[in-house]
Amino acid sequence: MKDPLNLPLFSSYEFDSRFYDELFAKRDDIRGIYKTLFELFGTYSVSEFNRLNIQAKDSFFNSGITFQVYGENEVNEKIFPFDLFPRIIDHEEWETIETGVLQRSKALNLFLWDVYHDQKIIKQGIVPKSLIDSSVNFLPEMINFDPPEGVYNHISGTDLIKHSDGQYYVLEDNIRCPSGVSYVIGNRGAVKHALFGVFNQYKTHTVVNYGSKLLETMQSVKPTGVDNPVCVILTPGVYNSAYYEHCFLAKQMGILLVEGRDLFVENDFVYMKTIYGIEKVDVIYRRVDDLYIDPLVFKADSLLGVPGLFSVYLKGNVALVNAPGTGVADDKAIYTYMPEIIKYYLDEDPILNNVHTYHCSRKNELNYVLENIDKLVVKPVDESGGYGISIGNKLTKDEIEKVKENIKKDPRKYIAQPIMSLSTHPTYIDDNESFESRHVDLRTFTLLGKDINFVLKGGLTRVALKKGNLVVNSSQGGGSKDTWVLKK
Amino acid sequence: MLARVANNLFWMGRYIERSEHVARFLRVNYFSSLDAPDELSQSRQFVLRSIMYMSANEIIDSDIILEEEEVLYNVGLNIDSPYSIVNGFINAHENARSARDLISTELFEAVNRVKHAIKGYPVEKLVKSQLYDFTTIVSNATSDIKSKIQSTLLHDEVYAIIMLGINIERGLQVARIINSKVSDASTVKKIYGDLVDGNYQWVTLLKCVLAYDMMRRSYKKAPERTNTLEFLILNAKCPRSIKNSLNQMNKYICMISKQHEKPVNSAAFLIGKMTSQFKYKLIEEIDDNLEEFTAELIDKLANIAVKLEEDYFDISHTLDVKAKA
Repeated sequence: MKDPLNLPLFSSYEFDSRFYDELFAKRDDIRGIYKTLFELFGTYSVSEFNRLNIQAKDSFFNSGITFQVYGENEVNEKIFPFDLFPRIIDHEEWETIETGVLQRSKALNLFLWDVYHDQKIIKQGIVPKSLIDSSVNFLPEMINFDPPEGVYNHISGTDLIKHSDGQYYVLEDNIRCPSGVSYVIGNRGAVKHALFGVFNQYKTHTVVNYGSKLLETMQSVKPTGVDNPVCVILTPGVYNSAYYEHCFLAKQMGILLVEGRDLFVENDFVYMKTIYGIEKVDVIYRRVDDLYIDPLVFKADSLLGVPGLFSVYLKGNVALVNAPGTGVADDKAIYTYMPEIIKYYLDEDPILNNVHTYHCSRKNELNYVLENIDKLVVKPVDESGGYGISIGNKLTKDEIEKVKENIKKDPRKYIAQPIMSLSTHPTYIDDNESFESRHVDLRTFTLLGKDINFVLKGGLTRVALKKGNLVVNSSQGGGSKDTWVLKK
Repeated sequence: MLARVANNLFWMGRYIERSEHVARFLRVNYFSSLDAPDELSQSRQFVLRSIMYMSANEIIDSDIILEEEEVLYNVGLNIDSPYSIVNGFINAHENARSARDLISTELFEAVNRVKHAIKGYPVEKLVKSQLYDFTTIVSNATSDIKSKIQSTLLHDEVYAIIMLGINIERGLQVARIINSKVSDASTVKKIYGDLVDGNYQWVTLLKCVLAYDMMRRSYKKAPERTNTLEFLILNAKCPRSIKNSLNQMNKYICMISKQHEKPVNSAAFLIGKMTSQFKYKLIEEIDDNLEEFTAELIDKLANIAVKLEEDYFDISHTLDVKAKA
């Protein structure tokens, strides 16, 4: 093999030993599972690769796999930036990830049950009561309610990173409306078309079974007494940034995509308005946030929800996926207690590492955070999408002071973690017409239903496209990669 | 199928059909006029007025001078003019997006591709040199979309709703094209009498509806007023005639309507009634009062669209209202 870094596409690749490079074990040593793939990329000229790259982007655009950006006068469609160099995960590594994320999802589900019922974990002093009481995502309306089949977090998205020690760490658990699975499947399609020669040489698990498994999960939590449940997805509408995903999932499952205005409640049941009149709805995968699902109970001015929906849910006549109030468990402050939560409910040690987390509501930890902000990542506990994150070593003195002020004003709102060294992966940078190393993470997708424990064998590898940036969220300009999980 | 989504599909069909007719009218009128047999038919103002009459339903005062580039821009690519072709595709796309989970991937992608292509078409090219290219892209694109409707959708109620939209719009557009060209023919006749090539306007009319070859094969005679109108209004075998559009509407409303008895004044009843009335209609009954006939036809089709909305697309109803119905 030629010196890999002399190949035109890799000529500006900077191997940085401070981080775990997913492709290079050493500067001139390609990791075993990547060798075949790398050889293929080594054969491409820059112009050939540019052509493939443009074709892949065009196919996303023409297929409408886009999100909308609102300018002053018009709406522009953009594709979620996509990189053709896939990430590969071997089966042994995957086994750890899969059992680890499943373990977390199950523990979170048991935690949610407990939080909304006996609160034993609080009474035993393992998780402080104040964290639950002060969580904006805790819904008192859910207390003592038994969701169908005891499942709260039917769908979980777990964000993982690989640190410089080669170990996976969980960054956060997303159990409200985790997005991104449609891009996992879209990315796979684009890579299969572009790299069909090499794809045949890797025995990769499929990702196209997600829709069937999701439908199975939805059907498994149908209300009592219903034989053939009518399942729907509830979307906020065409202007929602994840609308493509909502359509995609509805299509994959062959179920209807509804908006709040298509549904109404009468006689304690939910109905949808069809061309032949009304039809009862039994299971709703709602992609509308908790506080918007029912204006009679939550935000009165919400036009996205259905008046009366929540009371039908409480009566057991409709199932909501994910259950309202799950957000209390993906609060970043609760994340701090995940090892204890797993131990308490499952009597197991955590399979996946937590990133050491300082909670600003604890006095000692608050002091440490305030004194060491330049070495820490500070995150608000209730935000998502990468909003509100401050990375200490990128801040100016003034910015550090500002972050300190914010934390002092509301310590409960913030956690801090050491700045983790996210692994890097070769990513094609259009402007330089070559591959450069960029930080990546991995979002996995887990389903829980009645007798269903499923982890999609793949995931969304998100890439921070800006050099040196550690924030990979698409809302912060991140891109994505196809992720291959190899079979045994 | 959700009532709201059915409405979206119905309008997607209508916008696609409308865009196709406007583009074809634009192309045929503009290019055939370049070597028209008389000075009036060759006149830019006459052609531009005809285009505005058909596409925007606008009669322009004779003292207003129309700018060719402005008319082409407004009819083709001006997002702010509600009747433009680009707007038709933007609306069709929005409607398709709202029903994306119900239509085939192939159909959505065809609509998506053409919307991007039309929206990105350079204005400069359209108004200065490439009107033919632009209108051909539109014709090919609509043809591709319709082929996807035909071949990638189950022929169930989703398909029937789209086809209802297409056929109701076809009836309306053909009626408007007839109005426009008959008006052109009358103006030419008033000035030149029968001395000029009398076939020209009727040939153009047939070409505007894409029915010239079919008409020649059917009649084996040169087109003139009566046989052209008879063909376009009453020939059931011509897929673009009014009669055929009505027959198709009747077929698709029967697919959707589950009731054997059609309540009086329902969309299904009105379509059935109109279809029956057309069954034994003669061109002699129409020709003398053509203007009145087309105006009435347009009104009736518009009324059917309103009834369809009431019967199938209404999302204001609840359990009680539906039970009473």
